[in-house]
Amino acid sequence: MVTSPTALTAQELELREQVRTFLVETLPWGTFEPGLGMGAAVNPLFSAALAEHGWVGMAVPARYGGRDATAVDRFVVVEELLRWGAPVGHHWVADRQIAPVLLRYGTEEQKRWLLPRICRGELCFCIGMSEPDAGSDLASVRTRGVRDGDGWRVSGVKVWTSNAMRADFMIALCRTGEGARHVGLSRFLIDMRSPGVTVKPIPYLNGSTDHFAEVVLDGVLVSDEMVIGEIGQGWTQNANELAFERSGPDRWISTFLLVQEFMREWPDLAASPAGSRLIGELAAQYWVLRRLSLAVARAIDAGGTPAAEAALIKEMGTRFEQDVVSALRELLDRELVCGLEPADTPSLFERLLGRAVLDSPSFTIRGGTNEVLRTVAVKGLS
Amino acid sequence: MSDNELYSLAEKLFAEHSRWQDVCDAEVTGWAENLWKALQQTGFSDVPVPEELGGAGGSVADAVQLLRAAGAHAAPVPLAEAGLVGGWLLASAGLALPKGVRTALPPAATLRLDGDRLFGTAPAVAWGHRAEYVVGLADGVVVLAPGPAAQSGGPTFSRGANLADEPRDTVIFDGVPVTARAAAPDEVTEQSFWERTALGRAALMAGAVSAVAAMTLRYSREREQFGRPIGRFQAVQAHLVTIHQQATVVASAIDGAAAAVELGRGGFEVACAKMLADRAAQLVTAAAHQTHGAIGMTKEYPLHYLTRRLWAWRDEAGAHHRWADRLGAALVAHGPDALYPAIQCGSEVVQ
Repeated sequence: MVTSPTALTAQELELREQVRTFLVETLPWGTFEPGLGMGAAVNPLFSAALAEHGWVGMAVPARYGGRDATAVDRFVVVEELLRWGAPVGHHWVADRQIAPVLLRYGTEEQKRWLLPRICRGELCFCIGMSEPDAGSDLASVRTRGVRDGDGWRVSGVKVWTSNAMRADFMIALCRTGEGARHVGLSRFLIDMRSPGVTVKPIPYLNGSTDHFAEVVLDGVLVSDEMVIGEIGQGWTQNANELAFERSGPDRWISTFLLVQEFMREWPDLAASPAGSRLIGELAAQYWVLRRLSLAVARAIDAGGTPAAEAALIKEMGTRFEQDVVSALRELLDRELVCGLEPADTPSLFERLLGRAVLDSPSFTIRGGTNEVLRTVAVKGLS
Repeated sequence: MSDNELYSLAEKLFAEHSRWQDVCDAEVTGWAENLWKALQQTGFSDVPVPEELGGAGGSVADAVQLLRAAGAHAAPVPLAEAGLVGGWLLASAGLALPKGVRTALPPAATLRLDGDRLFGTAPAVAWGHRAEYVVGLADGVVVLAPGPAAQSGGPTFSRGANLADEPRDTVIFDGVPVTARAAAPDEVTEQSFWERTALGRAALMAGAVSAVAAMTLRYSREREQFGRPIGRFQAVQAHLVTIHQQATVVASAIDGAAAAVELGRGGFEVACAKMLADRAAQLVTAAAHQTHGAIGMTKEYPLHYLTRRLWAWRDEAGAHHRWADRLGAALVAHGPDALYPAIQCGSEVVQ
């Protein structure tokens, strides 16, 4: 079991300083609305500025436009961005998931075509996994790819797809063959501007139409060049990339800013016996989750695929993100009344708290529900 | 020797001399002579005391590995008190290790030196009644004094035990002449004494938690109900996941705390490690007993050797709130903008 990371090197600490300086200069605290972790705002200009420093797709080799950086380098950058509440939404999926997938399974052509654009922060991706009848039971997806000439005709419906309304591409899990449940699945890159693609917002529980969408794929023609890896290997690929997706700071840091801003806006309560006790307890949890998360990044750099550890971390990290919200609410114990517009609620803490209460159930659902993660994790126990 | 090799060696020693039957016997008699002898012969009881002071050398991380192995076997001896805590106190003041059984007087002891005579009461001294020597801190002076088991001139005592029937004796000094004394150096304070003590407990707890994890996983694969191993049920799998998550958490925490203490700091990390170990004790014992069902409640099945210790140890060396309050107050004093840097850099930012 991977548990303890070696300390950050001087170079890694220097990278952290550079990111901090960049954030203080381009995104001074108090001049923007910070987000809650990976659910932060979408801002293509910010993504482009970040990319100019080489901090998007940074683990991509230089010949494809990246920086040849390590998983730990990416950890260092992402940690700073998330704890600042920076608007990472535009490039988030491309950086975290698509770049590693293309590096691992993509063809040379796909890499040359897409990776440089990812590394410039240009591309926004969405993930086409869930369907009306396939949530946690992902192997039962019904979206089908049928051979048609030199390509594939893809038809089906993807739902609860984040950012589909603005994505350039979707990575879609589809059934392309018969046989056992976990075989015959393949992954396609689908250009969201293709004929036959229709995106309809699914209003989020707070009424926002800017988050979830239904994506109808009606006979969308996908060329062979857009197949990721081998036909029929979609399930295995999916399982292998989960170590990257599941163990990062985004799985435990989403509600950190609540604690920080609570301390700023409620200094007396924070200094009370109950307040400081809570802050001490939360700090211990953050400290150790960060250690474990960093240890997985180190293990990935050493060539490992610590998927079971990643599942253990995500399962407890996301619950912790929710616990932070509950604990602060209990400590505060007061009615939360928000203005109709953000500007009407002058307290950043209260705005964050309101959003966190509404959004936190999703923490233990997105990217694999905790119930499914537990069954994945148990298989890796020894 | 790497930490892994040291752990394997220690694990072998405890597997031989700290079998469940040995632990059971020691809970009745209050001592495990063969185990203690083996620890003395290998020098494990004298880690991390430098060799020139009669120790066996080694680092804080080495001592923590030994304690992890000891905790996994519920070893009924004052290993933490002899080495990581008591050995460190003596060595820090340049005092040589005495020959014989030694333990440490806990930081909660109220001790006073009058010339060469020691006064005061030390509560809950680990294996106090068996100690030929005791080590303590009295008004900034490191003191080596005869223990209750000394041939003559020792303090009086009354026996006590924790929930795991480990001796926790009250030792009373009414002018006992000390064997040796020396001023503690600057880095040895009441606080750093507490930290060493807590690190020792957290390391034992890490071992016990990992042993509970292994035992419970094995049981869940062997025990069949409704025609299949209980570990195939999702409700039971949730318990297994909780236990292994916590084992991972505590293992990582004691590594981080040991590394910081090695660097001469560790206020932040030790507080975190003890808090996390205390929380793990709660979650892990509950999940492990629930998985085992009634058999786990029997004397015959060895789960209790570990779970009773976890219940006792979580309250020792400063329980959860002591560490949470102290760390939280320090974090609040540094303000909101230092919170994340503290999480990243620990006692480099907040002690």
